[in-house]
Amino acid sequence: MSKISSVLIDLSGTIHIEEFAIPGAQTALELLRQHAKVKFVTNTTKESKRLLHQRLINCGFKVEKEEIFTSLTAARDLIVKNQYRPFFIVDDRAMEDFEGISTDDPNAVVIGLAPEKFNDTTLTHAFRLIKEKKASLIAINKGRYHQTNAGLCLGPGTYVAGLEYSAGVEATIVGKPNKLFFESALQSLNENVDFSSAVMIGDDVNDDALGAIKIGMRAILVKTGKFRDGDELKVKNVANSFVDAVNMIIENKVENG
Amino acid sequence: MSNGRAVNGFLLDITGVLYNSIYKSDGVAVPKSAEAVNFLYQHSKVKFLSNAKGNSNRNVARRLQRLGINVREEDVITPAPVVAQYCRENKLRPHLFVRDDVLEYFDGIDTSSPNCVVMGEVEEGFSFDRINRAFRILIDMPKPLLITMGNGKFFQRVDGPCIDVGAFAAALKFSTNCEVLNIGKPSRFYFEQGMNALGMKPEEIVMVGDDLMSDVGGAQACGMRGVQVRTGKWRPDFEKMPVTPDLTADCLYDAVKLIADNGFRL
Repeated sequence: MSKISSVLIDLSGTIHIEEFAIPGAQTALELLRQHAKVKFVTNTTKESKRLLHQRLINCGFKVEKEEIFTSLTAARDLIVKNQYRPFFIVDDRAMEDFEGISTDDPNAVVIGLAPEKFNDTTLTHAFRLIKEKKASLIAINKGRYHQTNAGLCLGPGTYVAGLEYSAGVEATIVGKPNKLFFESALQSLNENVDFSSAVMIGDDVNDDALGAIKIGMRAILVKTGKFRDGDELKVKNVANSFVDAVNMIIENKVENG
Repeated sequence: MSNGRAVNGFLLDITGVLYNSIYKSDGVAVPKSAEAVNFLYQHSKVKFLSNAKGNSNRNVARRLQRLGINVREEDVITPAPVVAQYCRENKLRPHLFVRDDVLEYFDGIDTSSPNCVVMGEVEEGFSFDRINRAFRILIDMPKPLLITMGNGKFFQRVDGPCIDVGAFAAALKFSTNCEVLNIGKPSRFYFEQGMNALGMKPEEIVMVGDDLMSDVGGAQACGMRGVQVRTGKWRPDFEKMPVTPDLTADCLYDAVKLIADNGFRL
């Protein structure tokens, strides 16, 4: 097995759950940095990069803000490139990442995680824009669900799937498991991207693990966060937590796939 | 259509055919739909097959009566009582995602430790908390089953199209990989309720609706004839869609008149 040189690390559910670090993850991260380059890739769509960074610091991680690659940043790039004027279904806390974007006469619907906005009134408004004004549907991610301290909660993907069904369209997905998202994150570590020497560590079997494997990366699924019994059957490399995942990398035990 | 086959009975969709809905009001009758209903009661046989999931059959009939359309409660078919019967026959213990007005149909059904979710609509609408509750129940089931009262993409309200239960069923299917059982049009099981109520074979019956895929296509797939009306959710681009109605008319009255004038043949 070739050595791992780049590691993409999911945040929520993988190195922390809400305000709490996964035990031992801070030390494991420092250890990992001696062996490979790391980037934090997150589909968390409800918080700006500044807030995410603040949380990691509060959890005791040594991380620079620039090391975080979020689907919000990628979404902003897409919006600017396509001159979208979005109707945002996004948490208010995330809106600072979209400062300066025009929202007049919307020609796109951009969906992130915004539980208090997931209701029939907002969705009907979005539906009418797509159906009657041919607005594009953009999913900051298409996550099915995630773990919170109060239990499993539906992710934005659920609502994206509902709109796709009703409006008869297919959404553009910005975050994981979009190939471009993984590729852009790796490119920020190494100009020449080599998927085969890169590994993704995450708790989401679909968007983290299978998404990375599909484009030729390796993946380690951690049994924390949203991990559900049975997920481990779908991938080769499974770790009890981020700490074990780091050990697998250092001991060069990460299989292909 | 000068000759055609005999039409012995009619199944009529309600919303968008008899009346158009308006948010928080009784809505407004489609012109001359009351006359069409009276005419069918006198000269043919008629039942009303609706995917309406918010009200009991009694209140569906009363609303129509307030709009001057004389529909009898016993001739109304809606999903809720059919779903309740299905739960009884299959010993299902549903988590109920339904309005208070249809709860009476589920009287006596055990709803403890649910083994399916029944989704119609609820008073507070499809709020995140309500959908999330259904989600948590489904994802913990060994074989998650979601029974929906129809799977419409949207319904037409006077102010515009509104997202319908089908979107939330698709959403939950995406998140939980649940089996979705639609008890509403266009499922054959649901159309059979209409055939049984008329006591007729499918080839004797005409279904009149505003939803091309669900009403017209669904009826045709069961061996009935399907008539499209240009009211309710009808759109000009229906003509590009892969279902060809046996007849298209401007409204229910025109459809009934055309068929009656042809000696109840189509």
